[in-house]
Amino acid sequence: MDKNSLKPEQIDILKEIGNIGMGNATTSLSKMLEEKIKMDVPEVSLISLSEVPELVGGPEKPVAVVFSKALGEVSFFIIFLMPEHSALNIIKALTDGETNEFCYMGRSVIREVGNIVGAAYLSALSFLTNYTFKQTPPILAIDMAGAILGTIFAEADLADDTLLLIKTILNTELTDFEGYLFIVPNWEKFKSIVEILGLELEE
Amino acid sequence: MITRVKIADIATQRVSGVLITVGLGSCIGTVFYDSKSITAGMAHVLLPDSTQFNSRKQNPMKYADTALPLMLDDMLKKGALKKNIVAKIAGGSKLFEFNTSDGKPEVSVGEKNIQAVKKTLKDMGISLVAEDVGGTFGRTMKLFVDTGKVEISSLEGYKKLF
Repeated sequence: MDKNSLKPEQIDILKEIGNIGMGNATTSLSKMLEEKIKMDVPEVSLISLSEVPELVGGPEKPVAVVFSKALGEVSFFIIFLMPEHSALNIIKALTDGETNEFCYMGRSVIREVGNIVGAAYLSALSFLTNYTFKQTPPILAIDMAGAILGTIFAEADLADDTLLLIKTILNTELTDFEGYLFIVPNWEKFKSIVEILGLELEE
Repeated sequence: MITRVKIADIATQRVSGVLITVGLGSCIGTVFYDSKSITAGMAHVLLPDSTQFNSRKQNPMKYADTALPLMLDDMLKKGALKKNIVAKIAGGSKLFEFNTSDGKPEVSVGEKNIQAVKKTLKDMGISLVAEDVGGTFGRTMKLFVDTGKVEISSLEGYKKLF
């Protein structure tokens, strides 16, 4: 995969999928939190493996990551990453202040938030492509960003050194929360999705 | 001089300074050290085996079987002698519980990486003198070039010096 393999219109399509998916996700999250959530326009980039931790504040930054795989005609990874303090804030907000630590309850809250975001993204993608996806149960790790992302890339058996990343940042004022959604598709297969969407757009 | 080693990266350095790699999860940090010539090397490998991806052009620093010989070459060029070089490793942890389709736990990539690094060292004839591997947490690995000492730390305050 090289940097020239993405055309501007394909990047636009990927951004749009990101937009719609995250739009769904923020709606659900904002209902849960009872406050507005701001969402940045998704960024689509081709980036080297080793640079990914830099995007979220460096490899040593403590983060909570909810990870699941979307399996279907096209498979990809859904990674929802929150800085540790954001994760703690959202636990506190969603448990009405009852807990603000990574206990059993706190961990389930975080997993559920990741699940909602991932599922919203997938349902948007399904809607646009008519593909169906099966999402694996989300799993959670809380550790250094570099350690978690490295582990995910290794488990993925990623043969490429370059990843296609769709990154969206969410943030809220009241809860002081920030989250990053990364979609890491297998580019070869993801192309067919982009093509389907591209054809539809041309009609 | 502090040199940072990223994922799928190698660095070698002589006499003084620190080599550091941050955030080893299932990845393995391997250091080579020759105390006679004071030459140090550090590699951060992501995956065990390059041969399963031989159809495509690859970054050899990503795999245990290709990164370690490269690091050795680099050190020999800097004046190290192979017979003086010893190895220390850290990482190979299991941060997530991945299950296979039939619900049984998989052998983690971390575990595969540990085995692959050990096998590569054995094939190369380099002795492994210390290790801090496995577990369920990420590690940061520092190598002090002047002494050859390695310091391991984690977010939870875990520390180890060897």
